[in-house]
Amino acid sequence: MPPPGPRAVTLAPPSAPPSAPRGAQPHAGARRGRVPGLVPGLVSLGALLALWAVAAALTGNPRRLPGPWAVGHELFAIAASGELWFHAGMTLFRVALAFVAAMILGGALGLAMGRSPRLDRWLDPTLVILLNIPALVIIVLAYIWIGLNETAAILAVALNKIPVVAVILREGTRALRPDLDDMARVFAMSGPARLRHVVLPQLAPHLAAAARTGVALIWKIVLVVEFLGRSNGVGFKIHLLFSSFDVAGVLAWSLAFVAVMLAIDAGLLRPWEARANRWRQDAP
Amino acid sequence: MRLELTSRSFAGRPVLGALTLEVRRGQRVAILGPSGIGKSTLLRIVAGLDRDFQGRRAVPERLAAVFQEPTLLPWRRALANVTIPTGADRAAALALMDQVGLAGKDRHFPRQLSLGQQRRLSLARAFAARPDLLLMDEPFASLDADTAGRMLDLTAALLDASGAGLILVTHDPAEAARLGAQPLTLSGTPARLA
Repeated sequence: MPPPGPRAVTLAPPSAPPSAPRGAQPHAGARRGRVPGLVPGLVSLGALLALWAVAAALTGNPRRLPGPWAVGHELFAIAASGELWFHAGMTLFRVALAFVAAMILGGALGLAMGRSPRLDRWLDPTLVILLNIPALVIIVLAYIWIGLNETAAILAVALNKIPVVAVILREGTRALRPDLDDMARVFAMSGPARLRHVVLPQLAPHLAAAARTGVALIWKIVLVVEFLGRSNGVGFKIHLLFSSFDVAGVLAWSLAFVAVMLAIDAGLLRPWEARANRWRQDAP
Repeated sequence: MRLELTSRSFAGRPVLGALTLEVRRGQRVAILGPSGIGKSTLLRIVAGLDRDFQGRRAVPERLAAVFQEPTLLPWRRALANVTIPTGADRAAALALMDQVGLAGKDRHFPRQLSLGQQRRLSLARAFAARPDLLLMDEPFASLDADTAGRMLDLTAALLDASGAGLILVTHDPAEAARLGAQPLTLSGTPARLA
């Protein structure tokens, strides 16, 4: 039987099968994940906005703490001028490249270390060291050694993320089912087929966890990289706004990018997870 | 298939002693013996899953196995579970699923099938590989008598049709007899075939 594994409900709200009318089945997970799930989220978001508005009114200093409306106005202005799309695009480009590099390299490293206890013993100390070097140190060193260029920026971000991905995937690889491995060997499945049909589906929850934490971590590091040594991107804009103490600008840019990252989570990661977890559902 | 085993030890303790096992295409052999005697170890050596033994092993190119558990890919649909590991084409796989009584179940995921159906799917997968030699490790254990009986008949029919050789590991001589397999008993420490 399949291993218990993380339940689908914890990873993604399972969608009801297309044939069945929604709500027709007593599927507790589906119901909990849907409409009632949206209400608390919206209410808490509204409460946060209200708190912000009250704090801004009480402070009475729009330069120090502008209200939501001032930031909204700023956001509209940078979106209308096209500035937002260019800089957010540059940041997103760096996030995407660093993310892909970190997932592939970190994933391969984790898979190899999970498979081979010998390799694990050799590489584990390096991994622990890399995990504990502050992101800022890696960024500064990359800029000094490689130069103030795109390669250094993306490499620095990826290097920060690779050990995290490797550790998550190593744990996943250690938990791979030996019986399926045996089956693949007896039937002489090719290496790529084994990876695609036997190994990666088992690692899907770990890949999803690595991707989720990865995206969140990477965009924050990309901002630091841009702050320190790039001449475009959201981090660069925040650098400029910081020097003029423009809090409304800083908030507008960061909120805009948070929205972009949320959209990526909802539009890319969640649908992928739902697809990868389809087989866990009971309904035919 | 020919295996000339000198010995197989676990942590310095010999489990399997010197033995020779030879199975030709179309020939059926059952390995009997009590639990823990080393039947599954012997089968794993034949399957190439256990390479930590002393001796010589020559096996045909196409092997297939039916394990104690169905050992299906839970994230692939029933049809893909037959085609992906074996490389069988869709039509052949569907025909085999039909033969084992799983017609119309090709879009199901394994966990949407009963245990009996999963085992029959595992049988269909084994024959989809068009094996020269089929290895079966207690494939009828933990099935009720009726289901086990139907699985045995099905296996016999598929073996007849394909002409594959068989090595069956079981503790039940009746299963061996029903498949027309020559019974060999594994006994002693270290265990030898008789």
